[in-house]
Amino acid sequence: MALIELLNERAIKVPLMARDKNGVIRELVDVLAAAYGLDNAENVFLSVLDREAQGSTGLSDGIAVPHGKTDAVPNILLAVGTAPDGVQFDAIDGQPSRLFFLMVAPPEKTGPHIAALAEIARLSRQSALCSALASAKSASEIMALMKGD
Amino acid sequence: MRQAFERMLVYVDGSEGSILAARLAAVLASQTHAELHALAGVNTRALSDLVQAHIFLEAEREEYRRDMDEDATRYLRHATEMGKRLGVYVEGHSVSGSIAAAIKNKALEIGADLLVMGPPPQIRSRRDALYDEVETAMRTAPCSVLVARDEERIEELYEQLS
Repeated sequence: MALIELLNERAIKVPLMARDKNGVIRELVDVLAAAYGLDNAENVFLSVLDREAQGSTGLSDGIAVPHGKTDAVPNILLAVGTAPDGVQFDAIDGQPSRLFFLMVAPPEKTGPHIAALAEIARLSRQSALCSALASAKSASEIMALMKGD
Repeated sequence: MRQAFERMLVYVDGSEGSILAARLAAVLASQTHAELHALAGVNTRALSDLVQAHIFLEAEREEYRRDMDEDATRYLRHATEMGKRLGVYVEGHSVSGSIAAAIKNKALEIGADLLVMGPPPQIRSRRDALYDEVETAMRTAPCSVLVARDEERIEELYEQLS
């Protein structure tokens, strides 16, 4: 499943209000819950926190990719958020994170989950695009940038 | 006289498109009496990319690898059952590595004359197309490629024969 097929303008928040790591994860999960009518957002939150406890998903250059596996979602879901001022996410370069891709998937969708995360990994290497995404002023601008419009 | 297709290979990955492809392949095999092989794979290239990008931990790679092995077995079982309903024997193959390369190699190994696949996913850019395993497999296949579309028609054909 391609990343573009997972994008939903209602699951993008620009900017995020949270100012710490757990708060960002909570806010992005809430965005997902509202966009997709999830009944068990708490389990989604806990699955991402559980993964994060094993090691931060804060990459270099201000990008973070929190993710998790849980039965609480019916399909692979993606939320995108930005924090223009940066949030400390224990990134590998120690710098604050500004662009967040939160992805959760049910356990039986491993292959498409891996493919979508791998696409984010490739996107994270496109510094100009990531910088534009982190500076976007609206969810529709994020959509347009991701679609390459 | 030789049949147009004597040995078909269908790629299954659990996606709706690949399920449709498996149904179409079973229909074709039933009608042409061609051999049908199904291939499912573990994309270890993507797993390595994720570890390299620091999105995955080493332990996570192993965990997902096990999950993908189990998924591949399940997809092949499903393809086998789909064939069985039409009286078609499906030979399953589980592979790992780059999926596109594995499809090409398996097609060559079994002498496939038709590769059946689901439609490739939407892509964000030409760069992404280069990385998409389904798209790459279509471009590099050593035989003819059939892309399964028109779900209604394929379902109808399948149900007629089952």
